[in-house]
Amino acid sequence: MDFRPLNDTERRGLLTALRSNVQDNRAILMDRRTTRFAGTAEDVTDDEVITAIKSVPCHY
Amino acid sequence: MGLLDSEAGKRRLLSIEIPVIERYNNGRDPEFKIRLVRQGCNLVLCYRLMPTHNVYDLETRLYSSYPMVPPETRVLTPLRHCPHLLEGQTMCLWRQGSTRATSRWDPSKYTCVFAIQAAWRWLACYELWHETGEWPLPEAK
Repeated sequence: MDFRPLNDTERRGLLTALRSNVQDNRAILMDRRTTRFAGTAEDVTDDEVITAIKSVPCHY
Repeated sequence: MGLLDSEAGKRRLLSIEIPVIERYNNGRDPEFKIRLVRQGCNLVLCYRLMPTHNVYDLETRLYSSYPMVPPETRVLTPLRHCPHLLEGQTMCLWRQGSTRATSRWDPSKYTCVFAIQAAWRWLACYELWHETGEWPLPEAK
């Protein structure tokens, strides 16, 4: 795969989302069609639950 | 004894796993939908994730003793060797320490789609690691 790097804005946005997911339990939203990063949210609706990544108890 | 060979396994599939896969697939582009494949006693979820620009093909394997044994997720797309990546490009997601006894997987709470969400977050971390050389999230205590 030819890896396409993130630009600065994308990198900052993704990093902030990951950290707030871990520290503040803020959900990461995935685009419904393509699974692409679509921002974060404090609360998610029932419809969004399946595409929202809440706290993931991974070991990292 | 597999998921499809026991009443409890079939009940789990029909009442929990299949409905949640259908919800996941609803409204999703065809190439990003989960395909469910039977391989012997195991069920394999084949799917594609795209956290940013890059597309990754993955499979999440539900072993015959699932959900007591956590699902195992492997990235089929070649990756650079990085932290939290085991042999065969298997993601290290649930283990804490080196034994299954300390797994963070909770069969009473999680479904196979939860494993896909965990894989998405892992890939997002990988994309950042690829740029910076640092895994962006600390290890859980």
